[in-house]
Amino acid sequence: MTAAGVGGGRMMASGGPASGSSARGLRVHGARKGDRARFWLFVSPWVIGFLGLTIGPLLFSLFMSFAAWDIFAPPEGVGVRNYVELFTKDPIFLRAMGTTVSYAVWSVLLGILASVIVAYFLDKPIRGRSAFRILVFLPSVIPLVAAAQLFKRVLSPGGLLNQVLGLAGIEGPAWLLDSRSVLWAFIIMSLWNVGGSTILVLAGIQGIPRTLVESAIIDGASGPSVFRHVTLPLLSPVIFYNVVMGLIGGLQTFGQVYIMTGGGPDNASMMIVPHLYNNAFRDYQMGYASAMAWVLFAVIMCLSVLVFRSSSLWVFYESEVRKT
Amino acid sequence: MRRQLGLPERIRAWIILGALSAVLILPFLFMVSISLSTDKTVAENAFTVLPREFRWENYLLVIGDPTILGYVWNSVLLCAGAILGQVLVSAFVAFGFARFRAREKGLVFMILLGTMMIPGEVTMIPQFLLFRSLGWLDSILPLVVPNFFGGAFNIFLLRQVMMTIPLSYDEAALMEGAGHLWLWRRVILPLVQPTLVAVAIFTFSWNWGWFSGPLIYITSLERYPLALGTYFMTATSNVGAIPPWNSIMVTSMLLTLPMILVYGLGQRYVYAVNIGSNDLLK
Repeated sequence: MTAAGVGGGRMMASGGPASGSSARGLRVHGARKGDRARFWLFVSPWVIGFLGLTIGPLLFSLFMSFAAWDIFAPPEGVGVRNYVELFTKDPIFLRAMGTTVSYAVWSVLLGILASVIVAYFLDKPIRGRSAFRILVFLPSVIPLVAAAQLFKRVLSPGGLLNQVLGLAGIEGPAWLLDSRSVLWAFIIMSLWNVGGSTILVLAGIQGIPRTLVESAIIDGASGPSVFRHVTLPLLSPVIFYNVVMGLIGGLQTFGQVYIMTGGGPDNASMMIVPHLYNNAFRDYQMGYASAMAWVLFAVIMCLSVLVFRSSSLWVFYESEVRKT
Repeated sequence: MRRQLGLPERIRAWIILGALSAVLILPFLFMVSISLSTDKTVAENAFTVLPREFRWENYLLVIGDPTILGYVWNSVLLCAGAILGQVLVSAFVAFGFARFRAREKGLVFMILLGTMMIPGEVTMIPQFLLFRSLGWLDSILPLVVPNFFGGAFNIFLLRQVMMTIPLSYDEAALMEGAGHLWLWRRVILPLVQPTLVAVAIFTFSWNWGWFSGPLIYITSLERYPLALGTYFMTATSNVGAIPPWNSIMVTSMLLTLPMILVYGLGQRYVYAVNIGSNDLLK
């Protein structure tokens, strides 16, 4: 936490409108003539990319979302028809939206819970914990396509998961082949990658000053109570970061779905981005797909704002305490 | 200073961690086991978690397959180009943000951070049309060239590190009559080298397993990178026919091993940066 805390301060001092403070620190050579020209020279590659690959496409995409275009005939303006159709005439889209949001929310919630638990035990000073750390992290470095191919076998009706469940006397569902279980199959698969966020949470735990924990113990607090009242609040910024990034990533899920089910069975696992991909690159409905992309953008923004707004209720920043 | 754990507490931690690691590692063992299976086992769908057969020939067959070797080569080209662009240009731009004074700098930096919030799907279609009009479809150019404009996250990361380098280094170099380009190349780059390695690792891992980009842009089999080629092995098998799962898992291992290697060798660089990346949402 200390390292991140220092970094946070650094960024605040120079990122926002307060960037004057960092510039002041640079006065000695910052005041040199031609500095402004040099700044623009050095950032020019990014600026060119920003104009050509971000802002240009962004505006063009917005424009296209109000048009019908199959990329062969010239585009034709249709006003808000694409957006109206999305919400009234495209049952797959509405269903995909619900599926995507529940996938993102469930995989993030369960993922965070699991990573906090795993990190809690990985922090214990026991022999062999670096080996455990490697084993936990290993699945996260396996590329998506390899993991998707593997999980097609793991989640097949007679596959690994049902074999393991069978040992416990549970008869598992057909996972990817059953529209009632397919979403849970993907959520289970996402939990396999819990190592990535576990490492971040573990780094957070290890950054907590020992003195805080020790003084709580001296005051008579028990292990679980120290975790609940000291560790967890100090971890909340790390958890917050993982929730935001996890939600944004979850809402953009594409590869697993495209490779493992193609959105099936019966569109039960269709999510926004695979649906968008089909519309754009299979059916060449560029205008319609663009409208879908903007709706996705809006959903991501809304969820992010929601999480940011709620953060004051549950995220604890040490620096805020010092201020008051 | 750390409290010593009692034996019961240690045993409990071992049991829980052991069970958790076992659960997480089982699918990986399953992957190894399938990759070593005979064609007969594939046909019968009789895979076991712990390998019972050891058909190492599966590996030789896949590694000796010119199509697969072509996929590997395409992936190497893609990663090399992406790393070159990303490392060089992000470090160049980061230097601009870290060292020069301009009225617009704060605003430009906020925009840079803001672009990270834009989902790629929004710009995906116009970019496709742009590269199509340039005649770049079915080549790795649309996948490699954008890296030569720098990446927002990498620029942010490198700028954070460059800000910690004392300005006296710059002053000394400039006093000696060095130019800013020399200063960047000879003084700053060597000092931020660990972060450059981390940027290279991130760029590698993103591009090595990248699926959606190649899926959109590459149509010829001989230009497929390995990730797309691995997907193609099941996509092409006829409905009802059993895909060659053993070769598919060997290819998946081929896709996985470089990642394990890179993260194994570079974990200390990645670990340091992962902690630093918490800065972003502070």
